[in-house]
Amino acid sequence: MAELTLNEKRLLAALSKEKKTDSVHLAAILNATPEAVVQWAHLTDDKGLVNVERIVEKSFEYTEEGKAYLHTGLPETQILNSIKPGTTLADLQGYPAFKIGFGQLRKKGLIRVEGSSVVKNEGNSTQAEESALRNPVSGDLNTKELIKRGILVESESIRYVISITHEGTALVNQGLDIREEIGNLTRDQILSGTWKTANLRKYDVKKLPKTVYPGKSHPYQRLIDEMRQILLEMGFTEMHGEIVQSAFWNFDALFQPQDHPAREMQDTFYLKEEASLPKGWECLRDMHEHGGNTSSTGWGGKWNPQKAQQCVLRTHTTSLSIQYLATHPEPPVKAFCIGRVYRREAIDPTHTLEFEQLEGIVMDKGVTFRHLLGFLKEFYQRMGFSDVRFRPGFFPYTEPSVEPEIWVDGLGWVEMGGAGVFRQEVTDPWGVKCPVLAWGLGVSRVAMLRLGLKDLRQLYQSDLEWIRNSPVHAPAQTRRKV
Amino acid sequence: MAIISLSYKYLERLIGTDRDTILKRLPMIGSEVERLEEDHADVEFFPNRPDLFSVEGVARAMRGFLDIEAGLPVYSVKPSGISFTVDPNLKNIRPFLASAVIRNVSFDDESILSVMALQEALHWAVGRGRSKVAIGIHDLDTITAPFHYKAALRSRKFVPLDFTKELTLDEILIEHPKGRDYAKIVKDFAFFPLITDNEDNVCSFPPIINGERTRVTTGTKNILLDVTGTDQRAVNVAANIICTAMAEAGATIESVEINGDVIPNLNPSERTVSVRECTDLVGVDLSAPQMAGLLEKMRFGAQPVGTDEVRVQVPCYRADIMHDWDLFEDVAIAYGYENFSVEVPPTFSIGTENPVNTIAAQVRMILAGLGYLEMMPFTLTNEKVLCDYLNRPRCSSTLHLMHPISEEYTVVRTEILPLLLEMLQVNRHRELPQRLFATGDVLSDLKTNQRLAAVSTHTVADFSEAYANADAVLRELGITYVAEVSDDEAFIEGRRADIVVDGKKVGVCGEIHPAVLIAFELEQPVAAFELDLRAVPGYPSR
Repeated sequence: MAELTLNEKRLLAALSKEKKTDSVHLAAILNATPEAVVQWAHLTDDKGLVNVERIVEKSFEYTEEGKAYLHTGLPETQILNSIKPGTTLADLQGYPAFKIGFGQLRKKGLIRVEGSSVVKNEGNSTQAEESALRNPVSGDLNTKELIKRGILVESESIRYVISITHEGTALVNQGLDIREEIGNLTRDQILSGTWKTANLRKYDVKKLPKTVYPGKSHPYQRLIDEMRQILLEMGFTEMHGEIVQSAFWNFDALFQPQDHPAREMQDTFYLKEEASLPKGWECLRDMHEHGGNTSSTGWGGKWNPQKAQQCVLRTHTTSLSIQYLATHPEPPVKAFCIGRVYRREAIDPTHTLEFEQLEGIVMDKGVTFRHLLGFLKEFYQRMGFSDVRFRPGFFPYTEPSVEPEIWVDGLGWVEMGGAGVFRQEVTDPWGVKCPVLAWGLGVSRVAMLRLGLKDLRQLYQSDLEWIRNSPVHAPAQTRRKV
Repeated sequence: MAIISLSYKYLERLIGTDRDTILKRLPMIGSEVERLEEDHADVEFFPNRPDLFSVEGVARAMRGFLDIEAGLPVYSVKPSGISFTVDPNLKNIRPFLASAVIRNVSFDDESILSVMALQEALHWAVGRGRSKVAIGIHDLDTITAPFHYKAALRSRKFVPLDFTKELTLDEILIEHPKGRDYAKIVKDFAFFPLITDNEDNVCSFPPIINGERTRVTTGTKNILLDVTGTDQRAVNVAANIICTAMAEAGATIESVEINGDVIPNLNPSERTVSVRECTDLVGVDLSAPQMAGLLEKMRFGAQPVGTDEVRVQVPCYRADIMHDWDLFEDVAIAYGYENFSVEVPPTFSIGTENPVNTIAAQVRMILAGLGYLEMMPFTLTNEKVLCDYLNRPRCSSTLHLMHPISEEYTVVRTEILPLLLEMLQVNRHRELPQRLFATGDVLSDLKTNQRLAAVSTHTVADFSEAYANADAVLRELGITYVAEVSDDEAFIEGRRADIVVDGKKVGVCGEIHPAVLIAFELEQPVAAFELDLRAVPGYPSR
């Protein structure tokens, strides 16, 4: 049974003597207002310990006019009593009650006027009206009439009659603790030892608490951290780098021909600034023009160093991978980063101008395309996507290339990004001799799937309520193809 | 993207198997099925495989991939006896030409559309929007050999395709829709490229438009192909892809003499590749005969040479084979990506978090502890938000995008606070108090560095709150600082402080100026601070 408050207990104690009484009487006993008593009674009623009866009582009061009529009789009675055989209208007009009384009599058909005389109709009286005046009855027609005439006022009063139930009596018989309750425990009570006898208020645990929101990281950041954690556990070193890149590192170093459509102004954000070319750029020129020292033919034509000096907002974080390799050409290398990349495209629910990419490389003796597939499968399985398949893909800087896809119920196979082994044309200019497994995976797409979002913009222009209501613990649920 | 429409009926006839078998395997050769319609499928192929931009090309590849027909397709070319002259004045305009005579074609409306679709896909993928390569096909029986490719006066007149009256070349650039689309490729030259026949009839004004005279119709039996451009290799490849696709459809190909060269050459090129290098790259153990078999499945000619090498004949339409590894990828595709027994890389290494992110994690922990929620706003913004709304002067070093896509996103952020105020604006109908923070990359000049900003809004947000929270963050990050009176107009005078470390301003805190609140449509006070994280002791420098 729910806990009783002190007031509820006092009410029960009082009722155990009175058995059944009204709230006004109980209020006097409990030294409280009747309203408070009714409130306690209702709470106690909810627990089945008392019954609360709501009784509506009607009462009548006389207006000043009504009070006068109690003595004089109603105006119609006064006039009626004044009518004798031969009484004329002029005789009656002298009475103060004439106007009302005569009108009422005419209306009720108790009199008639014959010539100049006023004559009573036989068998009629104002007895019923007089009775209603003295003993009004709620709902009676005559009483209603008097109310309407402003002689009587009917008022309603509500009375609460409270009685103790069998359960209530039983509870009282078990004994009630009606000592004063304590809300907040004070320092004095703790130190003085009075807490030992204090009656600490007990709370109703069935009532919901007030909602408070903790400070926390963003749901998307938590997902990014989950991915970072996986890569760190796999032994990868985390990279972090520049948003502004030269076209050299963003495109040329990745063997994108200088007339490649992705390099055009409508797909890439260019800046008017220029960057100088790194030492060893000539090797890259040779690679583009004729394949350098490899079995490649190169793209042919002339490679323009000026085009490589243009600055862009990185279109992929692969620009960081190749720079990392250029400064770490010896095996083994395992590196990754999750960072913003920028594409110039129309904004809609699944496209924003900037979004995150998960970039990674493994460079070592003896690593092969088969290991790249192994990494991708392991990563997505750890992210909760158990069905992974591989489709041939194409990227200018990898060979072989692959597009991993994951199975999502309701959507089918969803493409997650690109991966491959860096071409020799990419690695050779920097003296990298071992194979480099590389991937650039969509992070926001995983986020939309995991966080159940329809609009990518929610990640970047978040509704506060969404963040407040996104639990910190949101583990991957393994999604298996059925 | 090259999306090719594949008619089931035609595809089934060319491949010799049913559509379900074809569609099931199609993605595994390197494509994405975009839509399945009643009578055709729309399939996307990659830009490195323009030989797959026609039903005939797809059928040729799939016959190999489905083990119906393996090995190198052989195309015979007879001389047509027709010649072409090339004007040396084209050298700096559009110097390269390839051509062919294609006989015994049988066109219906559908196959004309299919050839035009191949042409357009090649213009896109190989031709770089016609600037590098442009293709024209003509009804050979409407013109008289020999043909001439020349630099013509811009006042030269002819009737362009879809027109009934003669226009000058200059007029075509203005009046013809294709002229307007592609004018930028030629408009700066004194002379324009033009192809004429021996009676000076205009066949084509490359790369803009053909003449109406040589229009290809369902009655066309013989074709003259012209491919012009600025890159010899690309021009030849485009011609080869068209010729071999038409040959697959049943036409015969005849060569043309261009300045003494016999074009097209549909013979394969040859490479000898190492089996060991291939297995080392792909990770599958293969013998030389096995590898040769897989290459034949991809329609290469391939013969083992001893145990360690394979001699490969690369078909003339395979523009993408630049390097031995390009062949090895085809070996992997033929082997089947689904057949790999995958394994994680065996390389042992110890993972290391980047120090920038170590500090970012600490920042998140501190701010969450202070009751703030994280936001991850865009890094692109505009100067109104970044400066004007904050009463701050625009800064000359802010980097501007050269071709922004909207007025909302024109610069990369140099601060984070303005973006957070924007987040408060977005959430202004949400319950107070609101405490938000964001940390991440900003640019100063060309360099990327990191900042932290935090805002708090409720009915009694004030300077004391901003200062106390900033102080807590600074203490937790181990930054020794002094606060100085600030003149930052984003804040209320007398309620703002610069955070100074070693004499250098690294941050600011205070109560946001009411004019700034109004600019962001905020109705309650905001306490805010921002900090340059390079002030954290030991912050990694690049």
